[in-house]
Amino acid sequence: MQNKVFNTESAPHIPNKNSVAKVMLTVWLALVPAMFAHVLFFGTGIIIQLTLSILFALFFEAISLKLLGKPIKLFLKDYSAFVTGLLFALCISPVAPWWISFIGMFFAIVVAKHLFGGLGQNIFNPAMLGFAVVLISFPQAMSIWLPPHSISPYAMSFVENLHAIFLGQFPTAIEFDTLTQATPLDLIKTGISQDKMMSEITTGVVFGDFGGLGWEWVANMYFIGGVFLIYKKIITWRVPTAVILTTIAFSLPFYLFDADNFIGPLQHLFSGGLMLGAFFIATDPTSGCSSHKGQLIFGAGVAIMTLLIREFGNFPDGVAFGVLIMNMSAPLIDRLTIPKAFGQENK
Amino acid sequence: MVNSVNSQQLYKLQGGIKLPHHKNDSLQNGLSRLPIADKVYMSLRINRGNIAKPLVKVGDWVLKGQIIAKPDTIKGSYIHASTSGEITAIQQRATASPEADISYVIEITSDGKEKWVNLAQTKINQSYIDSVTPEDIINSIHEAGLVGLGGAGFPTHLKYNSQNNSINTLIVNGAECEPYITCDEQLMLDFPDDLINGILLMMKASGASQAIFALEDQVGNIKSNIDKRVKDRNIQNISVVKVPTIYPAGGEKQLIKVLTGLEVPSGGLPLNLGIIVQNVGTIKALSDYIAEGRPLVERIVTIAGDCIGMAQNFVTAIGTPMSHLLQHADFDKDKTHRLIIGGPMMGYSMPDCSIGIDKTTNCILALSEKITQHYGDTLPCIRCGECVNVCPAGLLPQQLHWYIKGENLEKAREHHLYDCIECGACAWVCPSQIKLVDYYRYAKSELKYLDYKREKSDKAQIRHEQREARLERLKTERAAKRKRTRRRTSNPDKIKQDLNATMERIQKAKAEKIAQQKTKKQETDNNAE
Repeated sequence: MQNKVFNTESAPHIPNKNSVAKVMLTVWLALVPAMFAHVLFFGTGIIIQLTLSILFALFFEAISLKLLGKPIKLFLKDYSAFVTGLLFALCISPVAPWWISFIGMFFAIVVAKHLFGGLGQNIFNPAMLGFAVVLISFPQAMSIWLPPHSISPYAMSFVENLHAIFLGQFPTAIEFDTLTQATPLDLIKTGISQDKMMSEITTGVVFGDFGGLGWEWVANMYFIGGVFLIYKKIITWRVPTAVILTTIAFSLPFYLFDADNFIGPLQHLFSGGLMLGAFFIATDPTSGCSSHKGQLIFGAGVAIMTLLIREFGNFPDGVAFGVLIMNMSAPLIDRLTIPKAFGQENK
Repeated sequence: MVNSVNSQQLYKLQGGIKLPHHKNDSLQNGLSRLPIADKVYMSLRINRGNIAKPLVKVGDWVLKGQIIAKPDTIKGSYIHASTSGEITAIQQRATASPEADISYVIEITSDGKEKWVNLAQTKINQSYIDSVTPEDIINSIHEAGLVGLGGAGFPTHLKYNSQNNSINTLIVNGAECEPYITCDEQLMLDFPDDLINGILLMMKASGASQAIFALEDQVGNIKSNIDKRVKDRNIQNISVVKVPTIYPAGGEKQLIKVLTGLEVPSGGLPLNLGIIVQNVGTIKALSDYIAEGRPLVERIVTIAGDCIGMAQNFVTAIGTPMSHLLQHADFDKDKTHRLIIGGPMMGYSMPDCSIGIDKTTNCILALSEKITQHYGDTLPCIRCGECVNVCPAGLLPQQLHWYIKGENLEKAREHHLYDCIECGACAWVCPSQIKLVDYYRYAKSELKYLDYKREKSDKAQIRHEQREARLERLKTERAAKRKRTRRRTSNPDKIKQDLNATMERIQKAKAEKIAQQKTKKQETDNNAE
């Protein structure tokens, strides 16, 4: 019975069946309903964008890993770059030119992720950093957006989408005017700058029941996907709840005070990237807060920054900037919200 | 302070995880007594790295139950021979402790007769419990060599102090929260009467007015069994409470929280709350010593795992080599990847099976690679926060990991590293498969070393400063002296004056001397005449 030497690794001796890849793929699964809604309302362009962004993301991930001398296969298997590409594609226009995702993914993967140390080390949310770069650098390309199918005079086919994305050629049936400033938040921004009343602006065709037409359905799907993530314990309720409740609490007084010049709470929630941000972006654990109290503060901060930018800033939407600004604050918030350990006095 | 004994209200444990149970295998095969091995290896390692002093030498013959080593200080416990036979070696050897630490071990070659020392027997009944004093029981606890049999191995007598009357509650820990381990459950099933006697004795020793007997809610009919006996004996102040089966609800601090809602202060002891927690095995061992005179020379050990054909519980002599236990349980050695002492969450893996079991060895697990292997590769932490959700100590495990990885150990201390109980719940949920507890253990030992070094350098600093001050003082003193002389020498008039005064004094003295001699001479002259 002597002499066999056993493995002496330390406890726990029964490893769990969890992995980063599982986490990432669950996030992907949670986004599937929203992608369907996207295709339904805005056409097949999103599929091309998703494919492009994911391919570019994996491309830059592989190159960065290679240059940094890290194991490529190991890190490609974690699907984190895949999810970054996914989230980026969902933020940009379905007919944005192909190089938008190329440049966006370069900044997301190479700059925001690998220059900061790779998986788990990034201070900024990679997808949002990439998105912010292209948003600031290429305002025109970023403002082209299709109106939802139901009100569009012409629905673009898959091939026409390819033409638009790779060659910048749009079908002649579509007037260029309908392509620019077609997002509800864009319209509100321009409308308000032209001294139009909010009630006047929101009677426009691109507006739906409480958000943008089509947009509100995509937002609903993000909400459903987000609830699924909470159920699967990938995220906790804290950040999304903080974002949504703060959005309501912060916009309501303005709206009640002057409904003609300020966006209502529902319009805020169901337009632009707020739902996506609340459940999928601000909940990114790497660039967010780790303490539970900190997560509430983080979510509230994202909502307040977003609303300030939407109402008073130059950009129609502010989720990306709100998230990035809070990313910077996260380490400080964490330092100030170290929770009480078991057996310690309440401070 | 814990107030009411009958309140069945339980409190929520923060964090915790649900683990697969794996307890039925060893329970269904019941308890049997393991035949004595040819040789037993009794570790002299006692609490906190102290070594007990051997009272025997090689070649001595000992009886079972004879004291063979005693502690140097009051903070240790006695070690008794677990079999009769000859002492054949006292040497350094791997012991059943974390990392299989090398320590002094007494090897007894059994004569197979199991001949006991004289055993004093006492009948434990109400009148005995009424008449015995707490001091007597505490002495018995010490003499019996009792340590916490739940795993920590803290010398039991140190928990009791007959002068201290602030204890009001004894918590009987029957909640084995680790998977596979069933030695306590087996003991509660098979020895309920001894247990109740032991509880009454422990209550008497501590001065506790109530005992809460905690069980996991998954155990079978133990509660009704004990309830019935308590009722038959008309005992009012023992209540049996089932706690939810959540890992690590059986941890001392966690159990107190679940039962009473109180939190043991950070860095403190249950004693601070007027509570003593005692494992059921320890309680039974006390009752054995008082009733039959048998000190702690054997314990129940669970043998389990997927490489064990006959998972079961054995009454095993302390010091029995693991190989002997495994032989009797249909052990598949080739399949075994890891041999673990303790449970799968906190147990420590042993390099080979020749090591003798210790008083704290509650379970031996033989697991195949199929069970122990990692699900995936270890990746960097993505800060997902799942560890925060399960941490029973309310810590931020991912932040601790972050700071420790960056060698920022003081930051880890700030994040309450020392409140970590090393339960491993964080590591168990980590999607990046990081062995988080290893980091915490490393940081704790490193900080301890740094603190020691700092203390030493602080002392050196103080010594240095004192020396500097002393030198400085000498210097100023010398300077002052020199200044005084210089002041005296720097004024020519004063020098002259001084010189004149001295000369005057000398001349005066000379004149006096001459005068004296003169008178003396005259006197002698006169006498001569």
